[in-house]
Amino acid sequence: MFNFYLLIGIIFISLLFFIIGHNEAKNIKKINNIKLHSLSHYYGIFVLLASLLPSLGMYFIFTIGDDLLFASLIQNYVPIEVVNSEDYNFTIVLAQIKNSVEGLIFGTPDQWVTDAAEVWKSWVYQSQILTSISCIFTAIISGFLGYRKINHKFRSRNAVEKIVMSILAVSSIIAILTTVAIIFSVVFESIRFFALIPYDDFLFGTVWNPQFEGAERAGSGQEGLSQYGAIPLFAGTFLISIIALCVSVPIGLFSAIYLSEYATSKERAFFKPLLEILAGIPTVVYGFFAALTVAPFLRSSGSVLGLDVASESALAAGLVMGIMIIPFISSLSDDVINAVPQSLRDAGYGLGSTKNETVMKIVLPAALPGVVASIILAVSRAVGETMIVVMAAGLAANLTANPLEAVTTVTSQIVTILVGDQEFESAKTLSAFALALTLIIITLGMNFYALHIVKKYREQYE
Amino acid sequence: MENIKEDFKNLDLTVGDVFSKDARLKARNVNVFYGSNKAIDNVTIDIGNKEVISLIGPSGCGKSTFLRCFNRMNDTIDSCRIEGKITLDNENIYNEKIDVVPLRARIGMVFQKPNPFPKSIYDNVAYGPRIHGLSENKEHLDNIVEESLKRAGLWEEVNDRLLSPGTGLSGGQQQRLCIARAIAVSPEVILMDEPCSALDPIATAKIEELIHELGNEYSIVIVTHSMQQAARVSKRTAYFHLGKLIEVGKTKEIFTRPRHNQTEAYISGKIG
Repeated sequence: MFNFYLLIGIIFISLLFFIIGHNEAKNIKKINNIKLHSLSHYYGIFVLLASLLPSLGMYFIFTIGDDLLFASLIQNYVPIEVVNSEDYNFTIVLAQIKNSVEGLIFGTPDQWVTDAAEVWKSWVYQSQILTSISCIFTAIISGFLGYRKINHKFRSRNAVEKIVMSILAVSSIIAILTTVAIIFSVVFESIRFFALIPYDDFLFGTVWNPQFEGAERAGSGQEGLSQYGAIPLFAGTFLISIIALCVSVPIGLFSAIYLSEYATSKERAFFKPLLEILAGIPTVVYGFFAALTVAPFLRSSGSVLGLDVASESALAAGLVMGIMIIPFISSLSDDVINAVPQSLRDAGYGLGSTKNETVMKIVLPAALPGVVASIILAVSRAVGETMIVVMAAGLAANLTANPLEAVTTVTSQIVTILVGDQEFESAKTLSAFALALTLIIITLGMNFYALHIVKKYREQYE
Repeated sequence: MENIKEDFKNLDLTVGDVFSKDARLKARNVNVFYGSNKAIDNVTIDIGNKEVISLIGPSGCGKSTFLRCFNRMNDTIDSCRIEGKITLDNENIYNEKIDVVPLRARIGMVFQKPNPFPKSIYDNVAYGPRIHGLSENKEHLDNIVEESLKRAGLWEEVNDRLLSPGTGLSGGQQQRLCIARAIAVSPEVILMDEPCSALDPIATAKIEELIHELGNEYSIVIVTHSMQQAARVSKRTAYFHLGKLIEVGKTKEIFTRPRHNQTEAYISGKIG
C-alpha cells in the first residue's frame, strides 16, 4: 500500500511540474512576445518527463534492491548453530523469516526467527522513509532542472521526441529480455537434467518411461528402469501436427481463395467473421470435442470398416487441431491474397485466363511468401498446442506412424510431469525442461528456415 | 413538337464520320451503367482494320470505360451493366454464347500501370501462349517469346537475362514487356489504356514508336490524356465528353479544324 501511495505522489509531483512548465512557456511567450521553438504544451511534457522518469527509475532501484539487500544482511541474524546444522537451507530460512514478517506464523517459530523478523520490519520501515525521501527529492530536483531549461530557444519538441523514442526502445528491449530470460531458465534446468541423464539417451532413445523414478529414488534396488528417450514424444507431436496440417492447409487455403476471389462482398462479410469465431473457441473446448465426439465417432466408424481405432487416437486429436488452426491459415492467407494488386488480376484476365488460371498461376504465386508465413504460424501453433492432445491423444508414448493408435506429444508430457507437487531434484521433473528446450530449438529452427524460404521468394517477386 | 424531338436526337449525334469502310470492331448504341450511374451514353463507332485510333477527353469522360467494353473487362466489375451491341468481325461479343476467355485472347490489352507478373521475363511472355496452348513444344514457345520481345523492341535489352524477374526491369521496359506479353497470343486488336502515363518522356517516346510500328499489323485503340500523344501515334481520334462521343475524325482535322465547339474547347485547353 505504501508503494502505491508513493507512486501516486511521484505522479502528482510530475503533473504539477507539467502545469508549471506549461505556464512558464506561455508566460515567456506572452511577456516577451516572442515565438517559442515548440508548442507550449511540449515544454510542460518535457518538464513532466524530466521529473517523472528519474524518480521512477529511483523507485524501481529501491524497491527491487532493498529485498536483495535485506536478504543478504539478515544472514548475520541467523544463529551459528542453525547455519552449522546439517539440513540448513538459506532459502527456507529466508522464507520462514519473511512469513513471520507478513504475520503468517505456523506453529511456534524459534525465538531467533521472530527476532530476525523484527529486525527486518525495522529495515522495511527505514527503507520506506529513505525511498520516499529520495524519490520525491529526485522528482523535485530533476523536475526543477528541467524547468530551468525552459526558454524560447529550447527545442522541447525534439527533446520530447527523443525521450519518447527511448521509452519505446526500452519497451522492446524488455520484450526481448523476457524471451531471453525464459530461454535461459529452461536452459539451466535442462543442464541439470543432462547431468543426470546422458543427452544421447534423451535425444535418440526410443522408449519414454519415466514412471519408475520414484521407486528408484526410494531405494527399491532396481536401477535403470526409467527411460527418457524423447523420440516417441517428438514422433507423436509431428504425427499429430502433420494430420492437423493435412486438414487445415487445404481447407484454410481454399476457403481463403474462395473468400477473396470468388465470394461476393456480401458472402465475404458473412463468412469471414464466422470463420474467425473458430479462432475464438478456447482450446479446452476443442479438447473435449475431440475426446467426447470425434474420438468415439472415429472408433465406431473404424469398427464398421474393420479397423481397430484406439479410443484416444492421434487421428482424433489431429483432426480437431486441424480445425482449430483453419482460421489462422484462412484469415492470414485471405489478407495476403487480397493484398495482391488488382492490376495483376486484370493482366491475367486481359490475356484471356479463366478465374481459376488467374488465381493458380498469378495470384497464388505472388501471395506465396505470405501464405507460407501463415502456414508456419499454423505449424508452430500445432506443435505447441497442449490442451487438445492432453484430452484426446492419450499419454501412451507409443512410437508409431499409425494415426489410429494412441500417441503422446511433448507438450502433454510436460503437463503430466509438472502437474501437482514436484521435487526439483528428480530427473523426471527436470526432463520437462529438457523437452521444452528441445521443442523451442526445433520450432526456432523451423521458423528460421521458413523465414529464409519466404525471403528467397520475396526477393524473386518484388 | 416533332421538331423539338428531332433537335434532341441531333444533340446526341456524334460529329464526324463514326463509320469505317474496313471495320474490325463495331460499337452500336453502347450504354454503360455503374449501378444507376450512366457512364457511357449511346456511343456508336467503328474501329478499322490495322488502324490506330485514340480516344481522348477530360478525366472521367468514360474513355477508359468504353475501351474496357471491347474485351469485356467490365464484366469483372459487379455493378457494371452494358447495353447495345459490339461486334468483332460481325460477331456480337456480348452474345450469351460467346466465350469471353478466347475473346480476350483475340483482343489484347495493355494497362495504365506496367503490371508484369512476378515471374521471369520469359514466363511473363510465355504465360499467354501456355494457357491457350499456342505452342507445340519448347522450341516453338522459345520462338514465340523471342519474336514477341523483338516486336516489342525489348529483345536486345533482355535477351541475356530472360530468366530474371520481369519486375526488376525499368518502368518503360516493364511496359514494353507487357506489350510483348499481349502480342505473344497473336491478338487481332490491342487495347491500350493510357500506356505511357506512368513513364518518363524517353520511355514514352519508345512506346509511341512501337505503337506506330505495331499499327501496321494490328488494330490499336489507345486511350490517352495527352493530346500530343494522340496526334503523334494515331490516324483517327475520337473525343469523349461526359460519357458521350462528341466528335470523331482524322487526327489532323480534329486538332486543326475541330467541328464541335466542345472539341475545340478541349483542344484549346478550356476543358481539362
